[in-house]
Amino acid sequence: MNHFFKLLNFEINRFIKIYASLLAIVIIIQTIGVAVVSNSFVNRANEMMMENRWTQEEFIKSNGKMSFSEFMNSFWFAGPIAIAATALIFYIFLIWYREWYGKNTFIYRLLMLPASRYSIYFAKALAIFLMVLGLVGVQILVLPLENELFKVIVPNALREVLAVKDLIYTNAITMVLIPSTFTQFLLHYSAGLMAVFTLFTAILMERSYRFKGIIFGVLYCAAVLALFSAPLFIAAMLDMGNMLYPMEFLMVEIVLGFIASVCSILIGHQLLTKKVSV
Amino acid sequence: MIEVKNLTKKFGRRRVLENVSFTAEKGQITCLIGINGVGKTTTLKAIMGLTPYKSGTILIDNEPISKQVYEKITFIPDAAIMPPSMTIGEALVFMQDFYSNWNNERALELLKFFNLKEEFRIAELSKGNTAKVNLLMGLAIDVDYILMDEPFSGIDIFSREQIANVFTSHLIEDRGVIITTHEINDIEHLIDKVILLDNGSVLKEFYTEEMRSQEGKSVIDVMREVYRA
Amino acid sequence: MDLSFNNRDPVYLQVVRYFKEQIAIGDLTAGQEISSRRELAGLLKINPNTAQKAYKEMEEQGLITTERNFPSRITTDEKILNAVREELILEAVSSFIASVRPIKVPLDELIKMVSEKYSQPGE
Repeated sequence: MNHFFKLLNFEINRFIKIYASLLAIVIIIQTIGVAVVSNSFVNRANEMMMENRWTQEEFIKSNGKMSFSEFMNSFWFAGPIAIAATALIFYIFLIWYREWYGKNTFIYRLLMLPASRYSIYFAKALAIFLMVLGLVGVQILVLPLENELFKVIVPNALREVLAVKDLIYTNAITMVLIPSTFTQFLLHYSAGLMAVFTLFTAILMERSYRFKGIIFGVLYCAAVLALFSAPLFIAAMLDMGNMLYPMEFLMVEIVLGFIASVCSILIGHQLLTKKVSV
Repeated sequence: MIEVKNLTKKFGRRRVLENVSFTAEKGQITCLIGINGVGKTTTLKAIMGLTPYKSGTILIDNEPISKQVYEKITFIPDAAIMPPSMTIGEALVFMQDFYSNWNNERALELLKFFNLKEEFRIAELSKGNTAKVNLLMGLAIDVDYILMDEPFSGIDIFSREQIANVFTSHLIEDRGVIITTHEINDIEHLIDKVILLDNGSVLKEFYTEEMRSQEGKSVIDVMREVYRA
Repeated sequence: MDLSFNNRDPVYLQVVRYFKEQIAIGDLTAGQEISSRRELAGLLKINPNTAQKAYKEMEEQGLITTERNFPSRITTDEKILNAVREELILEAVSSFIASVRPIKVPLDELIKMVSEKYSQPGE
């Protein structure tokens, strides 16, 4: 256990600089985005009122008030999240491949540590998971501040005031990242973790069997995906979409996800102990 | 004692090791010699559990490799293994964190012996200094066995001398050492035992001093006989 | 210490011989403390086990004595020390004779040449 936390700490530390830059990118681009989107709205409003000799009320009647969700639906909001998400997905691969293909072959040391190979495996998985949570956490913290900035730029009369909570539940991205109930939160993030385990297993297959391993890995991912979506397909194919209640459907998915994760972890550990080659 | 019994390994269809058997004793320096590339490094990796093999048994003091055994045996590849962004000092802290039998006094003694400084960055080390840092980290874990892959190749003559000096000094204590090499010249007098490998098989296993007293042959004499046969 | 070994004779015997030479020329004297096995291995750059074996051989021949937990010393037995000198001289003379005999030089001429050459500086 001790070794696990040391490894986790090590894994986070070695990515911390890039990770911090990712967070910085999110904060900076979004802040700039709030300013740009808000200002352009205000400018447009002023221009239109000037040109058409409208009062504020007339402008609002034809154009509506601006709400913060306009920013959240723009590229300024989604773009940096997509960049950070892509980087983290990429890092799911890099966190393994860097051990072999870095300037130095750290995998030697890693596999020779007097630590269980589970510790190595879970430290990597949890490092990624914590970095995702951290990113979402930062987004939650930054969102109200961005909202304040919006309020500063857009005059009271021209804006629609929405609570941050409502903003989150009306945006497609934040709805997934920051679900409204704890159960949903658990579901979303355990699905994410399962995806990480699945990819890890595919990566370790490649590391163990090289070219053949790539094929095994792709097949494995497809199999997990098929397993996970089987209830949907079966229901659709048999035309009995109403056979399972949503709650039952959820339970089936949870059980399947659990099975898939356990399989991934066991196979991954087996590969890391017996098959992987330095 | 490290016992390798009937070790066989394939890469695809190609056999890399075929029924390799030998032993290496504690307190002795055993040298795996092979002129053609394959086999030596793979054998060391197999002993360390760093590469799978098709069949055979490998025992370290009668135990198979496990996380506990990693405190008894270590492997020193011929390339840098610690993250390049670390300094030597940070690398030592890392090792100390993970190995309960890390001997920091010895690590510092070796730093001095090799004229290395804790502030040196791993990425900036020469090949010779990389080999020294690797050896240092191996010796500072209180292991019983050290496996070294080509410790003398591709490094400058002074680094070679310093590394060879470790083998004859108190720093090696009574550890068992296995080194691989394709060139025996300057280390004939350092080694106790020779295992000649070729194309993944053991051709001959002998003690150097016995060979000299009984047959009056140097290691190179034997190599000539065996490899030219 | 700078000593080069040949690769075909057992290194431990070459080490023993090296000690005998040191004794014969008086660089090592009766009762003198000698380096530990480990130090010797470092000095001569040889395997520590070989150094150990050389010491064992020298103990068996009575050249050195080792008391528990003390460094080894050159023996104080004058008989053995003299014998070492004699042994080395005899060995050298025999090998000289062996190589000169086939030339069939008359003994007086040989002795004359030896005494001339021997007193010359250099070799």
